[in-house]
Amino acid sequence: MIPQDAARLLHAYLDGELDPANSRALEAELARSAELRTALERLRAQSESIRALADYHAAPAALRARLGAEIGEAGGVRGSWTRAWRGAAALAAGAAAGVLLALWLLRPAADAGLARELVESHVRATLGGRLYDVASSDQHTVKPWLSARLPYSPPVADFSQHGFELVGARLDFAAGRRVAVLVYQRRRHMIDAYVWPQAEAPAVRAGERDGFNVEPVAHDGMRFVLVSDLNRNELDDLARLIAAAQ
Amino acid sequence: MSDRRSRFEQLVLPHLDAAYNLARWLTRNDHDAQDVAQEAMLRAYRFADGLRGEPRPWLLAIVRNACMSWLQANRPAELAGALDVDAAEVESDRADGPEALAERAIERRVLNEAIAALPPQFREVLVLRELEELAYKDIARIAGVPIGTVMSRLARARRLLADSARVIARAAKAKVAE
Repeated sequence: MIPQDAARLLHAYLDGELDPANSRALEAELARSAELRTALERLRAQSESIRALADYHAAPAALRARLGAEIGEAGGVRGSWTRAWRGAAALAAGAAAGVLLALWLLRPAADAGLARELVESHVRATLGGRLYDVASSDQHTVKPWLSARLPYSPPVADFSQHGFELVGARLDFAAGRRVAVLVYQRRRHMIDAYVWPQAEAPAVRAGERDGFNVEPVAHDGMRFVLVSDLNRNELDDLARLIAAAQ
Repeated sequence: MSDRRSRFEQLVLPHLDAAYNLARWLTRNDHDAQDVAQEAMLRAYRFADGLRGEPRPWLLAIVRNACMSWLQANRPAELAGALDVDAAEVESDRADGPEALAERAIERRVLNEAIAALPPQFREVLVLRELEELAYKDIARIAGVPIGTVMSRLARARRLLADSARVIARAAKAKVAE
């Protein structure tokens, strides 16, 4: 029989919500008790099957259309104006991003600025539908495509067998220079891996910003910064895979 | 474009799928989910100036409240049925034998039915945790309960789900055998 508090902590442990002290205590308990290990495995399997099999109901097009009409009226903006403004806003956003970038470059090593910039770049790519310039899960296609366009050649690996599928790559602009971005997918989540040579890489701390996780990892003379709305545990898994890749 | 509108389009609208998903799981039908989600999105639009912190939990709290009002008005029995939800103790997890492990290879339909059959208070924490992958603190904020309650409801939701998935799978098997 598993003690009640251990059963309760098991859920928090599975969800990555247990503090380090309790995690260590529970891990010691797990090492001792086969029953507890079975219970954890059972919970993990259940959680995985829910994530893999439960319906995720995306918003129907009809709802989007109704909403667009309602908010168009509420904002007092007519359709053609909306489109014109969208274009102008995109240009303005681009200009603003340029100004922000210049300001950021003038600041002394403030890594929070870069984390923000990378999250913004990731969101722009996701919303704009421009996730990658080259779509391929083949590392032998992606790698030469990147090296032809950059002064360095980032290591490219597909981790499909671990649930992180390489879907493509793109070039982006961050920290004042061009950067290779490898794009991975896990379930519905897109993960951008920004890659710089270690010597030239800007410093970024792991953290969370606006609901996106940012995770730096070093490998093979390169520095990767992962950005995604994927939860921290699974993003850590990808970081470990990258760090251990051949 | 007004400030509020651009704020809404940049920060809130990207989470429309999450809003609909929660509304759909709580109302359990497309038609009402669309109405409730639309009402919640318009409410979010009106209050977009007051948005602080992360947009997704903020929006989902609005959607969740709209769903609860809808349930109160249209399915009061569903809400009342689980009044003793938090009084119930979390059972100690039993370690299952190998045959139970095999049964866990349940099919999609069984799993979806089992989630839909959970009382709404359990269904919402499960959907927010497993499908939206939100942190306990965000779920607590959305459901308007303490983090400890999120933990116990989640534990109980998983327990109930495992039990009911087993029952549904067994019933389906019995039907096939007939």
